[in-house]
Amino acid sequence: MSINYLSAKNLTLGYGNSIVIKNLALSLYDNKDYEVIGRNGAGKSTLLNFISNNFQGNKFDSKFEFKNLRILEISSEYTLIENLTLIENCLYLTKNSVSVDSVDKVLSDYGMNHFKEDLIQKFSSGMIKRSELAIAHLINPEILCIDEPLNYLDKDGSQLLIQLLEKRSNDTRSTILSSQESLNLFKSDYETINLNV
Amino acid sequence: MFNNYYIVKKEILGEYRNNTSLFIITPTMAVLVLVFPILSENRYIIDDNFFTITQLLFLIVFATLFSIRNPLSQKKLMRELNFGDIARKDFFISKTISEFVIFLPQAIILISLFSIFTNTGIQNHLIYFGISVIFFSVNSIMTNLFFQMFTSFESRFVQFILMVPILMSLSFLVAPIWLGINPNLTNIYLVMYLGITLLVFLFTNWFLQRDFK
Repeated sequence: MSINYLSAKNLTLGYGNSIVIKNLALSLYDNKDYEVIGRNGAGKSTLLNFISNNFQGNKFDSKFEFKNLRILEISSEYTLIENLTLIENCLYLTKNSVSVDSVDKVLSDYGMNHFKEDLIQKFSSGMIKRSELAIAHLINPEILCIDEPLNYLDKDGSQLLIQLLEKRSNDTRSTILSSQESLNLFKSDYETINLNV
Repeated sequence: MFNNYYIVKKEILGEYRNNTSLFIITPTMAVLVLVFPILSENRYIIDDNFFTITQLLFLIVFATLFSIRNPLSQKKLMRELNFGDIARKDFFISKTISEFVIFLPQAIILISLFSIFTNTGIQNHLIYFGISVIFFSVNSIMTNLFFQMFTSFESRFVQFILMVPILMSLSFLVAPIWLGINPNLTNIYLVMYLGITLLVFLFTNWFLQRDFK
């Protein structure tokens, strides 16, 4: 059974007095994948931040309903803690709920096992993105939002992302991607939220 | 049952790697403590009353520097807590514990150094003194975290301006205890301090449990 975890009829979001998204009707389900597309400044990141409860701007008089699901966001600003090593980040962000062996295995799958004892502050943007994808794989949240999914990723990294999307789709977990134009990364059906109109 | 050791561990590891307080603030304060008696009275012994007041002043300066050493970015913290699905209440309590573990030994080192180098002592029982320092530490840490987690004052200067009056008012309850008032009055002051600690804790908990969505 699917859960309608976010429904809004007139979602208006902005910062201060400036409006970024105006009167957007939205209805998101936990068993469907979504792709948010829009030009620069159309409000893709703002919408993803809102969905993942990371939005700190003005919601004006928007009426919306949230259901409490585990939503994780991989945004263009990284979340990992700089002065912790990769393995420490993995254990901290999974609240020590996964074993070191399973962390090792996932990091190995994502090609990050050699760097697990290195501090995040020494990582490149691509390595950070891979690490965040690996942690998302470990947590396997009900909803995963990825802003500009291909940014910083090389060919292998992009392949890993596609594998993660496929795995999530098989587990009937929802993923929301945002980009300027359709990336066609999903293998199965998905819905497009176009912010250009 | 407290099962958020992973947050405490992360905070202490971060502090150990940054070493801002241990390698920068404590030595700076120690040097100040060393040169202060010579500058003020041109000798290594200072008068008792003057000693208590200046020791408090040093504690306030130390607590302020400690508070602003590594400001939390509200935006980054929000992302981190949402990413790890960590409740704000758990983070607050664990961060208070870790800050206390880092702060208290350094505050005791500082106060001891001050006593040693000025050749003067506290005029009350050591237990009363210890409890008052613990209350001061817990309260200053909780108020500082409250400001950092729920206001967007990321500038160290603004935090400094906000923290100094709060720490001064907290130290008003410490001063009489250190000055050696009689045991009954000391107990009353300590109970008052306990009341303030509970109030700060309860208010913060109430604030944290509000719906942020």
